[in-house]
Amino acid sequence: MSDFQGMEDLLQDFLVEATDLLSGVDNKLVDLEQNPHDLGLLNEIFRGFHTIKGGAGFLNAAELVTLCHLTENLFDKLRTGEMEISGPLMDVILDATGAVRDMFGNLEGGVQPSSADAALIAKLKAALAGQLAADAVPAAVAPAPTSGVPTPGSPDWDNLFNAVTGAAPVASATTVALEPGMHHDVAGETPEQIIHAAVGRRATDKPGYQGATSGRRDTEKTRDNSIRVDTSRLDQVLNLSGEIGLTKNRLNSLRSDILNGRSDTDTLHALDQAVSQLDLLVSDLQNAVMKTRMQPIGRLFQKYPRIARDLARSLGKDVELALAGEDTEIDKTMIEDLSDPIVHLIRNAVDHGVESTEDRRAAGKPEKSRVRLEARQEGDHIVLVVADDGKGMNAEKLRAKALEKGLISDEEANTMDERQSLNLVFLPGFSTKDVASDVSGRGVGMDVVKTNIQKLNGSIEIKSVLGKGTTFTISLPLTLAILPVLLVQLGQQPFAVPLSMVREILPIQIEQIQEVGGRATMVVRGEVMPIYPLCNLIGWAPEQVADYGVLMQTAEQTFILAIDGFMGREDAVIKSLEDFRPKGVAGVTTLSNGQIVLILDMKELLSDMGGGCGVARSAFIRDLADAA
Amino acid sequence: MAVDPTKIKFLVVDDFSTMRRIVRNLLKELGFTNVDEAEDGAVAWQKLQGGGFDFVVSDWNMPNMDGLTLLQTIRANPNLKGLPVLMITAEAKKENIIAAAQAGASGYIVKPFTAATLNEKMAKIFEKMGA
Repeated sequence: MSDFQGMEDLLQDFLVEATDLLSGVDNKLVDLEQNPHDLGLLNEIFRGFHTIKGGAGFLNAAELVTLCHLTENLFDKLRTGEMEISGPLMDVILDATGAVRDMFGNLEGGVQPSSADAALIAKLKAALAGQLAADAVPAAVAPAPTSGVPTPGSPDWDNLFNAVTGAAPVASATTVALEPGMHHDVAGETPEQIIHAAVGRRATDKPGYQGATSGRRDTEKTRDNSIRVDTSRLDQVLNLSGEIGLTKNRLNSLRSDILNGRSDTDTLHALDQAVSQLDLLVSDLQNAVMKTRMQPIGRLFQKYPRIARDLARSLGKDVELALAGEDTEIDKTMIEDLSDPIVHLIRNAVDHGVESTEDRRAAGKPEKSRVRLEARQEGDHIVLVVADDGKGMNAEKLRAKALEKGLISDEEANTMDERQSLNLVFLPGFSTKDVASDVSGRGVGMDVVKTNIQKLNGSIEIKSVLGKGTTFTISLPLTLAILPVLLVQLGQQPFAVPLSMVREILPIQIEQIQEVGGRATMVVRGEVMPIYPLCNLIGWAPEQVADYGVLMQTAEQTFILAIDGFMGREDAVIKSLEDFRPKGVAGVTTLSNGQIVLILDMKELLSDMGGGCGVARSAFIRDLADAA
Repeated sequence: MAVDPTKIKFLVVDDFSTMRRIVRNLLKELGFTNVDEAEDGAVAWQKLQGGGFDFVVSDWNMPNMDGLTLLQTIRANPNLKGLPVLMITAEAKKENIIAAAQAGASGYIVKPFTAATLNEKMAKIFEKMGA
């Protein structure tokens, strides 16, 4: 059973907020290593631990309170200049942060965290006492000053406060209060009352929020299901749903008018207006709801500087992870799914991309290397970049490696261009390091990164310059829930293709079709492009000659999709087919007229067909087709 | 206190939204349902200047403007100086309590606390105000 019966809501709130806070602290710690005297940073980190401590108290998480308290005290000494950051001290602090994170993990599972590692507590106390040795920590450490922890029996501050505010004039407060031993008789309270007042709790009290217990949920992993939304965005949703309610009322009254036989122009005009308004409001509402799912990607980025730092340190490298575009907003579900791929890319950059300090020096580069993690919105896409200034990737070596591993044939290796060679790293089982490090793994990963990105309808590209560095660019749709599509027709049957791939629509004229290698192609502005009839791709017998071509572009190729007609664009709400996924079908959507339409996965259709989706030029000759 | 508790308008000031929610819920338990929130002293000060608040419950350690500065600012304002301010903090340190007292805090409560404790503190403040 959960240790937090009746406090699930509070616990969940706390975890979401405190985890964010802790990630911020982690980042600031990395910054602090560079600027150990930055008072602003010290203050913020202090406040972070302080705030977590305060919340943890209400959850009765005594061990978390103790840990945060010790760390907070350390930062109090640091910010007041009583102590200075040193390497060993930094390590203790980072360990403490890790321990706090572990405790969040316990809380998430509904378990009250047990005491932090005794050695860590001892180190913290030693550090507080100014006795932190560079290497060994003495087993028996003098007890650290932990005056702030409110334990029963601690001095009656509350009473002291009364003494200051109550009887004594403010001016003389200091002298009154600082006089030890005098506050017990001030208010004439019993010792129990005094202790109670000082500690702020009765023995029988059950601290923590005990309010409404409705909506109780399972504490297991509840955090994943909650989302933090800017209230102004929620207000917008509320406002729009209110407006829609009003429009619905208007439609109701118009309906009864019409049912009662009133169908004059005024009524019909009013109906037309109301429906148009509803149209507008619903699309606004959809956008507004979508926006509540959008989260700044900075939340995801926060944890990476620490990961990069720890890894670089363990490898003896000096790496700075520079973040940019943290405000870029992205669908929350995507943020979660992006976490692992980006971790992998960063680890890869620090481990494989960046050279050792000696090599950098030898190459005349600055010793400190820079790994850049950047996000930005480009049109209806989010672009994520992980770039390093390391040694770059050698296409030649990659090919040789893939050949040696039997992943590609001799012939393939010879015809590969630079880009294709770099993409070899995405092949399952490919690893350029003979000795796999425990960091980036054993060749598992890059292929998983690619698969994960593709699952999100995204793509990943590599650019690399020898000696200068490697850049991984991930491109993702803004959201997964709504997909702008172009509706195309085969005979009378509509199909939807993602609009993001569509460049233009052209009429197909036989005069412009040329045959290359027995396959029909068309030249568009000087570029030769293959024509793939849609019926061919989905395995239908052609019923008529295609009239239109849709110029489409995927990461791999540009081609013309030959179709019989098109209906226009629509914002499709994708419904996935459960337990059933025909090849080349991404999902289904419902049209305004109620018709169900398949959304085609062009990449899958093309890869499935290999090169065999082209047809002879004769397929587009109208007379012949008519005659047949 | 014969006043209808729902008539008393509270301003809860804390940079940690979980904490604001805790305080809000504790107040609700005590029947005080008219509660607004501010995420730091600066936001709180802006809201307070708009008027209409009867009681401030403020955290101490906050970015932008901390609770002590907020308290001092309130006490220095001719219109707001009589406003009751209950300081909440995790610091049970002597210096802090003295500082709060000197700045004119109406009360001081140490985290974590319960509705009962909060009620007691507030009753004392209301008592003093009534007297």
